[in-house]
Amino acid sequence: MSKKIGDVILDLQNISLRFGGVKALTDISFNVKEHEIRAIIGPNGAGKSSMLNVINGVYHPQEGKIFWHGKERKKMEPHMASRQNIARTFQNIALFKGMTVLDNIMTGRITKMKSNFIEHALWFGRARNEELEHRKKVEEVIDFLEIQHIRKTPVGRLPYGLQKRVELARALAAEPSMLLLDEPMAGMNVEEKQDMCRFILDVNDQYGTTIVLIEHDMGVVMDISDRVVVLDYGKKIGDGVPDEVKNNEDVIKAYLGAGH
Amino acid sequence: MLYREAGQFKTNYAADQQVFPIRQDRIGIIVLLAVAFLGVPMFASAYWFSAILIPFLIFALAALGLNILTGYAGQLSLGSAAFMAVGAYAAYNFQLRIEGIPIIVSFICGGLTAAGVGILFGLPSLRIKGFYLAVATLAAQFFIVWCLTKFPWLSNNSSSGVISTQQLIIFGHELTTPVEKYLLVLSIVVVMAMAAKNLVRSSTGRAWMAVRDMDVAASVIGIKLMPTKLLAFAISSFYCGVAGALYAFCYLGSVEPDGFSLDMSFRILFMIIIGGVGSIMGSFLGAAFILLLPIFLDVALPFFAELFGLPFSSATVSHIQILVFGALIMFFLIVEPHGLARLWQIAKEKLRLWPFPH
Repeated sequence: MSKKIGDVILDLQNISLRFGGVKALTDISFNVKEHEIRAIIGPNGAGKSSMLNVINGVYHPQEGKIFWHGKERKKMEPHMASRQNIARTFQNIALFKGMTVLDNIMTGRITKMKSNFIEHALWFGRARNEELEHRKKVEEVIDFLEIQHIRKTPVGRLPYGLQKRVELARALAAEPSMLLLDEPMAGMNVEEKQDMCRFILDVNDQYGTTIVLIEHDMGVVMDISDRVVVLDYGKKIGDGVPDEVKNNEDVIKAYLGAGH
Repeated sequence: MLYREAGQFKTNYAADQQVFPIRQDRIGIIVLLAVAFLGVPMFASAYWFSAILIPFLIFALAALGLNILTGYAGQLSLGSAAFMAVGAYAAYNFQLRIEGIPIIVSFICGGLTAAGVGILFGLPSLRIKGFYLAVATLAAQFFIVWCLTKFPWLSNNSSSGVISTQQLIIFGHELTTPVEKYLLVLSIVVVMAMAAKNLVRSSTGRAWMAVRDMDVAASVIGIKLMPTKLLAFAISSFYCGVAGALYAFCYLGSVEPDGFSLDMSFRILFMIIIGGVGSIMGSFLGAAFILLLPIFLDVALPFFAELFGLPFSSATVSHIQILVFGALIMFFLIVEPHGLARLWQIAKEKLRLWPFPH
C-alpha cells in the first residue's frame, strides 16, 4: 500500500465520560491522522461505541479536550458533526426503514441542500435543480457500492448485509472527510465481509477518506487498519500498528484472560 | 396487460423523479381531475355536493394535514379538530375585521394562524414522543375550544360562540350554489394536495421521514430535530386550518366551538389509519371510507331489508349500520394494517404483472 498518511486531524486528549456513577471512558488519549484507517478494538463494553459517540458529538465528555484540525472543539451537537464533514454508520443499523434506498441515501446529502420548504412545495427553480444535481451525486455512490438494483426498494425489505451497505452509502453520500464505522461487518458472512472490506479500502483509497472503525473480527482489523487503539473497561491499553498491538501483553490479557 | 411500464424508459433523472412515472397513472389522474372538475358538476345533484362531495374534500384536506404530521413526521396528534377551529374562527375574524380582504386571503391567514397555534402546541414534541405527545396535543383540543367559548371577541360577541360566516365573494362574484362552492373547495384541495406531494418527495419530506424512522441517526446526518418537527406541526396545522375555514365557509355556513370536538379529531385520525399512514392518497381514501360508507349503508341497508322482506325498523337499520361499519374497519385493518393506500399499491403491483403471478 502506497498511500500517503497525512497530519493529525483529530486529537483526543484525556477524554473521560461518565453516565451517573458509571465510568464509560477514563482518561483516553489518541489521535487520528488524515487518510489513515484507524481501528478501535476491545472486548464488549469496553467503551468503543461511546468513543465514536464522543467523536461525533452525541455524547459530551466531562473531561478532556478534542482538537479537530488543530482547533479545540467546543461542545458539539450531533447535527454539527455533518457540517464538519464527519459521517458515521451505526452498530445496529440506523436506516430510515420506511424510505427507499434512494431516499435514504439522498438524506445523507441533506445538509448540502439550500432550498427551503416553500420552494419544495412549489417544486420550482432551485428545489427542482437541487434535487437533480444531488441525485447525480447519489447515483455515483450507488454505482460505487454496487447497489443499483435495489435503488427503489424500501430499506426494511432488504437483507441485513445489503442494509449495512446502504447505510455506508448514506454516510458516503455526505462526502465526508472522516467516516466513523461502528462494526460494519458484524453479523456478516465471509463473502459479505470481503465485499465490505473492499468497499472500505476503496473509499479510503479513491476518496482519501479518513476512516475510524470499530470491529470485532481481528483478521479484518489487522489486515486493513493502519493503526489500532485497544480499549478495555473504558481505559486505553494499547495503541500502535497492528503488529505492535498483537504482541502487547495487556491486549492479550484482555482478550484471552489473565490466566493465559 | 393495460397497466405496466414496460417500454417506458427513463433517460434522465427528471423523468425518473416525476410524481407519476408510469404513463397509465398520468392518464388516470388527468381523467380523474377532468371528471372532478367537469363531469361531476354536470351530473351531480345539489344533495351530492352539499352532503357528500364538499365534506369529503374538506375532511380529506384535514386528514392530509394530519398525515403530514403523523404519517410523515411521526408525531402523533389528537388536536386536528382544534386546529380546524382555529382556522375557521381566524378566517371569520379576518373577514370581519379587515375591510375588503379577499376571501382566499382570509383562508390563507386562517391557515397561518392555525400554523402559529400548531407550532405552540408542537413544542412538547421536542421532549416527548408517541402516546405521551398525543396526550399533550389533547391539551390543544380542550384549550382551544374553551378559548373560543370563553372569549366573546373571537366570535364577535355572539351567544355561545356560534359564528355565521360571511358571503363567499371571489373576484366580485358571490358563490351561492353548491356547485360553485364545490369547485372552490376542489381547486383549493387539488392545489394543496399537489403542494403536499411535492413537500414529501423533497428534502423537507425526507427530513420528516428520517425523524420519524430514527431520530438519532437523523440528527447525526445533520438534520436539526427541533425545526424539522416544528415545521411539520406548522404545515400540518396550516392544512387543518384551511380545512376548518372551508368547513365553516363552504360546508356548514355557521359553526360553534363545540362542533370541533375531540370526536372529530378522532375521526380524522381514523381516516389516516384506515386510508394509509404516510400516504397522500391514503388521506383521500380514508376520508372517503369514513364519510361515505355510513351514507352508503344508510341507503343500501333499507334497500336490502326490503328486498328480502325483513321487517326492520329504522332504528334497527341504524344499529346495523354501526355494526357493519365497525366490522368493516376491523376487517380492513386485519387484512391490511397499512391501510387502503397499501391495498391499492398491491393491486397495482399485481396488475403490472398480470396475467402472471410473479
